[in-house]
Amino acid sequence: MNKKSLYTVYIFFKINTKRVFRDKTALFFTIGFPLIFLFVFGSLNSGTNDLSFKVAILNQSQTSFSKDFVVELEDSSVFKVDQDVSSLDAAKEKMSHSEIDATIVLPDNFGAIAPEGDHPSGQIKVIYTQNNQQSASALVSLLDAQLKGVNAGFVDTQMPFTVAGEQINENSLSAFDYSFAGLLGFSIIGMGIFGPINVFPELKKMGILRRLSTTPIKVWQYFMATMVGQAVVGLISMSIMFAVALSVFNLHMVGNWFELAAFLVIGVITILGIGLALGGWAKNERQVAPLANIIVFPMMFLSGTFFPRFLMPEWLQTVSSFLPLTPIIDGIRLITTEGRHFIDLLPQLGLIGAWLIVIYVIAFRVFRWE
Amino acid sequence: MTNMIEVRDLKKRYGDKQAVDGVSFSVKKGEIFGILGPNGAGKTTTLEMMETLRPIDSGSVIIDGIDVSEDPQKIKYMIGVQPQSPAFQDKTKIKEVIELFAAAYGEKVDVMKFLRDVDLEEKADSYFESLSGGQKQRLSITTALVHGPKVFFLDEPTTGLDPQARRHLWDLIEDVRKRGISVIMTTHYMDEAEVLCDRIAVMDNGKIVAIDTPKNLIKQLLGRGFKKDQHVEQANLEDVFIDLTGKGLRGGNE
Repeated sequence: MNKKSLYTVYIFFKINTKRVFRDKTALFFTIGFPLIFLFVFGSLNSGTNDLSFKVAILNQSQTSFSKDFVVELEDSSVFKVDQDVSSLDAAKEKMSHSEIDATIVLPDNFGAIAPEGDHPSGQIKVIYTQNNQQSASALVSLLDAQLKGVNAGFVDTQMPFTVAGEQINENSLSAFDYSFAGLLGFSIIGMGIFGPINVFPELKKMGILRRLSTTPIKVWQYFMATMVGQAVVGLISMSIMFAVALSVFNLHMVGNWFELAAFLVIGVITILGIGLALGGWAKNERQVAPLANIIVFPMMFLSGTFFPRFLMPEWLQTVSSFLPLTPIIDGIRLITTEGRHFIDLLPQLGLIGAWLIVIYVIAFRVFRWE
Repeated sequence: MTNMIEVRDLKKRYGDKQAVDGVSFSVKKGEIFGILGPNGAGKTTTLEMMETLRPIDSGSVIIDGIDVSEDPQKIKYMIGVQPQSPAFQDKTKIKEVIELFAAAYGEKVDVMKFLRDVDLEEKADSYFESLSGGQKQRLSITTALVHGPKVFFLDEPTTGLDPQARRHLWDLIEDVRKRGISVIMTTHYMDEAEVLCDRIAVMDNGKIVAIDTPKNLIKQLLGRGFKKDQHVEQANLEDVFIDLTGKGLRGGNE
């Protein structure tokens, strides 16, 4: 590796990277497309932090107590009251579509003062369908707790046993913090694999790689120029994702930025190797598409891009932990959410290193100029 | 003049077909050597073996004393190649195309000089895809020469060009030869071969069936008693076309 051959790498890197920024389609797929996913997943996850129920309230009572009670429920942030529902039939229909979680019925005597009593009383009915059992039972205990407070105002009671919850660890992860690493993993796949498998067969079809092969340029020079270019474009694209995640979706980033950048570059280059192997091997697009799908889709679903791996059965977690993308996503997550350092990530880095060697040995072996 | 290229008993087989079947010829320094023949005669395969693009089954190609199959990497520094249809990736300015090809040889060159050589300096900042067919051919020629090769290969360089662009390209090829570079080209146009080539090899079915200067080949044919219908005209249709439209090269995008 002398100065001249690095000059070759530098010029190819420089000009090919400039091309990316002139090409609107390439820009969309490297920067715009992952951003769209970021917004979709960010908005999906942003609401899930607060517990809330979508309910319909059917107040059949005319008492002032019941009216006050309904207002109280509507003001509460826990309940999202569907105002359109006015009959039980309409409520049933909405429940069967899971548009609302349950229906709260206040019967006609709710809040009335019984002839022999001196304070209002009544029973709330919570109606739900079987697909909403969980949220309904949570709702029942929630209303129960609320009524206890009301009861205490009327009857003086002393409970011998009580339970109190206490929240600790203020910096806990939001669902978004957790899924952001997966989104980065998705954008790494998009850039590293879908880029080369589209570009290389096209270059071969036009005879451009063939023309280059009449020059003394070596495969490693061509690969290295692509790798450096991809790392730069990847870092730019992911910086934009971070900027959006931090400012719009309140991402908690506790790790070291330099370690994160270095780790992302390693991840991008590893996955790019898969794209170089596929694109470098394929003679045309038709040959590469099925093979790319076989490799990309399992990785996309099993490595924790869209849903966390801890939801999978034990054996699947074991299998998926060996996929090349898994240690990349895990590592990103450990750095961003737990502030871990490279020294803590040796298992992940070791596995990535092993894949890096395997992938690039294959990529060099199967590369064809035409 | 010494021989720049020695081709001896070159053979290449694809499955059942003997694509190149014992081809031998030599090319002198600064000579324009044409290979003619119908499609499938083995012209391109012969060229590709000389260009290190195809492994040689048997026989040898020696360029300036170096065996192509023994040191292909060294050969690549000595040859320039113009492919049949010059293509390059889009969104690349043509000055960058030159820069890239020079860099492929590890060299940094005066890009504008190479563009000036082929009258493309005004297009320096245009993207490759905006060039016309003739401009692409010219760019392709100059990129093949960035590293100062000793041998220049052209595969059907003027196919699909208008008469003005063709004539301009002939001038360029003449210029290349004047620099002492040996030119090997294939073509389907007999007028082109007659005007440009010092010597011609006619190939058919993987073999060379005749090899000589265009004049001698015609003389030999006449010597065998060949007679064309007497039909002597002082001009042909192309002369009319050039007279009407001029020799000036069209800059626009065809």
